Amino acid sequence: MASRGQVVAPASSFPSAGLIRRRPIVLGLAGLAALAVALAAGVGFGSVAVAPGETLGILTSRVLGLDVTRTWSAATEAIVWDLRLPRVLTAMVVGVGLAVAGATFQGLLRNPLADPYVLGTASGAALGAAIAVLIPVRIVFLEFGLLHGFAFLGALGSVVAVYRLSRIGGMAPLTSLLLTGYALGSLMAAGLAMAMHLSGAALRQIFTYLLGSFDAASWGRLAGAAPLVLVGVLLVMSRARALNGLLLGEETAAHLGVDVRRERVTLLALGSLITAAAVAVSGLIGFVGLVVPHVVRLLVGPNARLVVPLSALFGAGLMTFADLAARMLGEIPVGVVTAVIGAPFFLVLLRRSRTGYEL
Amino acid sequence: MRARPIRPTLVLLLALLAAACSQAGATPTPPATPSPAIPPSPSASPPTAGFPVTLTDYSGTDVEIPAEPETIVSLTPAATEILFAIEAGYRVVGKVEDIANHPPEAADVPVVATFAGVDIEKIVALEPDLVIAGGNGGTPEDAIERLRALDLPVLVVYAADIEDVFTDMEQIGVAAGEAERSRDLADAMRAQFDAVDAATRELDRPRVFYETGDQPAIYGVADDSFVASMLELAGADPITTGSSTVWEMSQERLVAEDPEIILLGDAAYGVSPEGVAARPGWAEMTAVEANAIRPIDDIVVTRPGPRLVQGLHGLVAAIHPEVEISGASSPPSSASPAASGG
Amino acid sequence: MTRPAIELRGVTAGYAGRAVIRDVTLSVDAGERVALVGPNGAGKSTLLRLVTGLLRPTAGEVLLDGVGIASLSREAIARRIAVVPQVAQLPFSARVEQVVALGRLPHENPLRGPRPADHAAVAAAIERVGLSALVGRDARELSLGERQLVLVAVAVAQAAPVVLLDEPTVHLDIRHQVDVMDLLADLNRREGATIVAVLHDLHLAARSFTRIVVLAEGRVAADGPPDVALSPDRIRDVFRVDPWVVGAAAWASVPPR
Repeated sequence: MASRGQVVAPASSFPSAGLIRRRPIVLGLAGLAALAVALAAGVGFGSVAVAPGETLGILTSRVLGLDVTRTWSAATEAIVWDLRLPRVLTAMVVGVGLAVAGATFQGLLRNPLADPYVLGTASGAALGAAIAVLIPVRIVFLEFGLLHGFAFLGALGSVVAVYRLSRIGGMAPLTSLLLTGYALGSLMAAGLAMAMHLSGAALRQIFTYLLGSFDAASWGRLAGAAPLVLVGVLLVMSRARALNGLLLGEETAAHLGVDVRRERVTLLALGSLITAAAVAVSGLIGFVGLVVPHVVRLLVGPNARLVVPLSALFGAGLMTFADLAARMLGEIPVGVVTAVIGAPFFLVLLRRSRTGYEL
Repeated sequence: MRARPIRPTLVLLLALLAAACSQAGATPTPPATPSPAIPPSPSASPPTAGFPVTLTDYSGTDVEIPAEPETIVSLTPAATEILFAIEAGYRVVGKVEDIANHPPEAADVPVVATFAGVDIEKIVALEPDLVIAGGNGGTPEDAIERLRALDLPVLVVYAADIEDVFTDMEQIGVAAGEAERSRDLADAMRAQFDAVDAATRELDRPRVFYETGDQPAIYGVADDSFVASMLELAGADPITTGSSTVWEMSQERLVAEDPEIILLGDAAYGVSPEGVAARPGWAEMTAVEANAIRPIDDIVVTRPGPRLVQGLHGLVAAIHPEVEISGASSPPSSASPAASGG
Repeated sequence: MTRPAIELRGVTAGYAGRAVIRDVTLSVDAGERVALVGPNGAGKSTLLRLVTGLLRPTAGEVLLDGVGIASLSREAIARRIAVVPQVAQLPFSARVEQVVALGRLPHENPLRGPRPADHAAVAAAIERVGLSALVGRDARELSLGERQLVLVAVAVAQAAPVVLLDEPTVHLDIRHQVDVMDLLADLNRREGATIVAVLHDLHLAARSFTRIVVLAEGRVAADGPPDVALSPDRIRDVFRVDPWVVGAAAWASVPPR
């Protein structure tokens, strides 16, 4: 009995349905296993070698509160507990957020090429970050500095602006959203270029932000971003029915009982909030939000009840592995790794995609 | 930014002192003692004197150093040079990558940071008692925060002007437990700077353009910047960009200002006098016609460390080759001066 | 007297200030089978949108089962009315059975998803529409006609008491056209479903429906059995063609199914 809402008729009527039904479960378990491996690898490896026994000891003593005899130094404990573990967990949270936001926007905009940044969130966040760097004031709130706050606000602000502007004119809402997102994104990119020109010595900070990284991950930042991302993701999952309804178009969705206007705003808001939180904490990391939902859809079909949770799972795993690879390959930016993994995938997807999809 | 106060009588005294110290001066290849020789301390200071100490650093943070640091990590090349100059080099357990690889004694110190980023894990693993970082973005602020969050004392230094170089040197000395050595080093450097100032003050000042880059545009020197001050001390009338934040030099402005001497601070990146002379629109400049285009070792001119004197002397040699600075030997990086604007 | 399944009372509606439907009063009782015909631009699709609540009238009232549509939620409307659109676009690959399953959305619990009854309804709809051979195929790879049948199956799976169809036979060959009409008749007879179909094919309309509503320039030009609503005069007036082109004389002699 498929408990997660498999959209397939009982096995008796269809020959291959049994196999198809089991696939999501298999994938889910595989995803969890991969995530566990990613967690272990991420915490166990780094630029300083830590013996697996010590890593395990540190984790058990901190997580379970057991009084284990310490064979390791305070420095090693700091490396594992204060540096690596929050970093790995942050990578997971950001991976979950970007993958789910990507799935949400792809479903909402009914466009397979949509990603979390499609409505100008990337440009807005980058511009916010660049402006923050130019301001010589230092504010820290819950371990979030001016840069994170402005990036968050920039991301959200740009979506609100895109949404408002897209309602002017008589175009179909979805097309209008996409085009406005593109136009506003270009405008903000120009603003960003100007800010970078004025930034002088701070250019490097802006650049690091643009490339995206988990270097600055900490427990405090994780505690700030994770609730936003995770609650947002759960809420998106609760709206899976609406996402499914949108598959055949907004009018058909309305005919199927979806309150299209309300769902559009809700899903837009949720997707943007998740993206803004992820982007504020780790900068602009691309490809995960675009590619992961695609691959999941190829494997289990378009049913949002499966696509959203599986995207979350695989997004977390991919991001964690990418960050590990970035660290081990000499601290290259994680966005480079995701691009290297994601771009070939994307090209393959393009080749395989059908031309024209009218029903 | 603080202006250097002018103290004529002190200048005179120091000029005499400079003349007396015959071994003082920039040495291009470091002998046994790098940088200006430090007068030997009269008595060995007790190892724990001066600790615990709290210093207010460039970021405005009060940095507490409970005891003399036995292990130090240096995240700016200048700090590395300073630490080695004040005989604290043996305690440096980690350093930032240095393109100049100076001093040679630091070659074996493991690298814990590069231009790409700071390896927090490696630094934490070294368990340093003190970390010296660069302000104003020299060391990424995130890295400084992470290190401080892990309870490592981080002293942030940044020299906005020349006097800052000396006070930073003294502060690092106090932090490292070599207060007296660093003070002497700073004083010696101040003396040499004053000597140069005295020697060049009354001379005619040629208009000098100091090029800091040529890709993708021509980059010079910003108004009121560190390099501008150095050029002024060396007896030049520096041509600046017209803004204190923008380093890009408008070529039109440059042609209008008509430099008499062009110093190539970007010589290390392959910019040659011939290449400069061939640039379109530059042929009419006095400096080009007179072939007064000279490569300069940019690092010693800009690095806020013990070799700054060497940098100053190099500038003087390129701008006022006729000036004799006692104890200064011509640095190998300056070209032999032809007829130059005096 | 039971309230009509669909009722329009003096409805005027349009887009961008231009009225497309003018002062239309129309009612369809439960269990009726109605064909809606008319020339291009007459307002047929607009009428459907009014009935499904996608368009609000500028004057008059639309009621479903006696309840004003303005007070009904989208979900409530979806449980009453199923719509077979003319065209629908699928942005992602989906198997036929997954598309048909969308018809169960109004019945699905948003959080818990489809239950066995929903799966059974989907299977039954697929069989009833004759798509069993296409199960497992990517819906985007089907022929136009097959895709149209899939949309019909979605509406069948929705199991609503009223089924509205917007030109459901455009891409179908004659065999399948007849099949769909027979299916509608079957739904009407066995489940008592109320059927309203917008058709451009007058023959098909006359053959399969006992009541024809002719819409012209936003008004009801005729409403009655085929031989009355599609009389030669009507054909001439409304459709502006010679009645013999349509073979209108044949209406009376063809027994409606």
